[in-house]
Amino acid sequence: MILTILLKDLKLFFSDKKSVLLTFLLPILLISLFAFAFGGIGGNSEPRIINLLLTDIDNTTETKALISSLEEIKGLKIITTTLEKATNAVRKGDYLAVLLLKEGYEKAVLNGEPAPIELKYDSSRETEIGMLQAVLMEKLMQSIGEKSISKNIENMIDTKFANLTPSMRKKIKETVNEDDALQTGSMVDFQMTTIVKDNSKRTNFALIQAVAGVAIMMLLFSIAELGAGLLEEKEAGTLKRLLYSPIRPSAILFGKMGAALVLAILQLLIMFVFAWLAFGLPILEDLPSLLVLIFAVAFAVASFGIFLVSIAKSRKQLSGLSSLIILTMSAIGGSMIPLFIMPPIMKKIAVVSVNYWGIQGFYDIFARDLSFTEVLPRVFVLLGIGIVMSLISLRLFKKNLFKMV
Amino acid sequence: MIQATNLNKSFGTLKAVNQVNLNIKEGEIFGLLGPNGAGKSTTINLISSLLKADSGSISLNGIDLNTHPILAKNSIGIVPQEISLYDNFSAYDNLLFFGKLYKVDKTTLKQRIDEILILIGLENRKNDLIKTYSGGMKRRINIAAALLHKPKILLMDEPTVGVDPQSRNRIFEVVETLNKQGLTIIYTTHYMEEVERLCNRIAIMDTGKIIAQGTLKELQEQSKTTEKVALTFSAISKEQFVAFKKAFAFEIQQIENTLSINCNINKDLSTILAYCTTNNIEVNDIKVLKANLEAIFLDLTNKQLRD
Repeated sequence: MILTILLKDLKLFFSDKKSVLLTFLLPILLISLFAFAFGGIGGNSEPRIINLLLTDIDNTTETKALISSLEEIKGLKIITTTLEKATNAVRKGDYLAVLLLKEGYEKAVLNGEPAPIELKYDSSRETEIGMLQAVLMEKLMQSIGEKSISKNIENMIDTKFANLTPSMRKKIKETVNEDDALQTGSMVDFQMTTIVKDNSKRTNFALIQAVAGVAIMMLLFSIAELGAGLLEEKEAGTLKRLLYSPIRPSAILFGKMGAALVLAILQLLIMFVFAWLAFGLPILEDLPSLLVLIFAVAFAVASFGIFLVSIAKSRKQLSGLSSLIILTMSAIGGSMIPLFIMPPIMKKIAVVSVNYWGIQGFYDIFARDLSFTEVLPRVFVLLGIGIVMSLISLRLFKKNLFKMV
Repeated sequence: MIQATNLNKSFGTLKAVNQVNLNIKEGEIFGLLGPNGAGKSTTINLISSLLKADSGSISLNGIDLNTHPILAKNSIGIVPQEISLYDNFSAYDNLLFFGKLYKVDKTTLKQRIDEILILIGLENRKNDLIKTYSGGMKRRINIAAALLHKPKILLMDEPTVGVDPQSRNRIFEVVETLNKQGLTIIYTTHYMEEVERLCNRIAIMDTGKIIAQGTLKELQEQSKTTEKVALTFSAISKEQFVAFKKAFAFEIQQIENTLSINCNINKDLSTILAYCTTNNIEVNDIKVLKANLEAIFLDLTNKQLRD
């Protein structure tokens, strides 16, 4: 009897091809996505390239020589630009950091003094900065070292043995240990500064990642569930009654979307207020930007929920589809894994995800400390996604309307 | 009031509605009768503009449905076959919501809800959640939701399915009251007794077509089905039965002492009784079996209505 029931259930399961596909395809897809995201696939064949902006204020033979040697570093691409452009690009999160070769660099190198160099970086990407710093320091030591050490020894002899004859000083110089010279002082005056308006307001980046990433992913699930209300209305017959009434189908769809939008805004507000009260996320520092971004994220997510409903024919289908699409978007968009640890190809793919634009927007506000106008481009992208999704949903809804009832 | 001309609607290869013509007059209760799958609900969906006809035209209260669907929708109320209500809303909130869809102003709507709740006998339960209602009560609220905007036409799609006898009677009373108030009603069902009780005219649908329409009398005339009289005698011998059959050219069935005779009761019954008296055949009981709708339907479609 047990075997009969077992076989019956297996037969029923395999008769639903979509469920079978989702059961086996979803885990395979997620495994592949995570492997890609962590660089486990294709990691050996495609080295990660770090784009480093460089501003050469000293603009001398020595700085040009340093730039040439930096360009030899495998995996590092040097892009020379002005300080203003570089700073803006880093602040907006387009680039990781700018290496600033300050005025007096050549003079310092030739005099054996610490070379003035500054690394201005995106404070939200400190993990990447650690790797970059290690690579840079090694090369800087090598490049600046030869000239600086030679001059350092000369200076040391001049200071300690000023009364010796030139021949004796030359002999000492040849025999002196380079390490001794190095101990006399640092070759590089290497400053590291984050690009934020006020360092005292620096935020816990793990917190931003956790709040923004989880908030958007959970919001997508909630809104998909809310959108399922339309399918419930279909099953309960109330959709039919709505369609009997003298209201347009678009009003039904956008009414549902409006409800989803309100609930999405509420959900995000509650999550951010909780993060503020419980973890100290500074939500009040740039409230207008935060509210506008919350609206844009909620709008994009609400329209996405309606889109899901308009392509699903039943609750069962919706459940499978929403799991597949939301988990995929969350994985590639940075909700599950911070974007900076993903390989370059994943970072490029991430832009198709609502999560990406939302999370980066929250980074803009809390980590990059961008102004209201600087946050707007991401807001417009989110609104654009919302509008496109809504129009597609409306078209599909009207097309499938009569099949629905 | 309702004019449907050459309506056609197909779903793939299935012709759900095939050349349907209806002309329903103001103040009528028009019965649409047919077995499941006959095309009744599709016809209702076409009239309610939920579906678009492949060809043909519909005019409601003089408004062309194709050119002015929203205006036409305002003049009709529809009672769907399913109970289309929000279970977690009270009856009052359900009615308030559906009334707002027709842009009835709030004060008028509240008055109207109270009137309708009294009409359907649920004024004392108006604040209870729909999920606490019995099937029959839900059916009554389902009807109420179609009346809020004072429609001129009411389409009722099998409004008594799964309803207890008490609620069914209440629904009949509501339908009759609404009709007396001037509402034109299309009533689809596969319960013939409902059509016989409520409807002025009837259309019989089968396989997407209207196979007959008219008053019950007109349908009887269209059908070959005739009335029957059942005569029960105290005793009738074989010889008496043979002689009886010879005397009349009717179709006669004998079950023990009862003869079931296909005849015109008004014209032939007195002659039959006179024959019995003359030939000393004692009649104990006389039953007149009218040609009812079920018999007419069977005759016209060769199907039982509940097939």
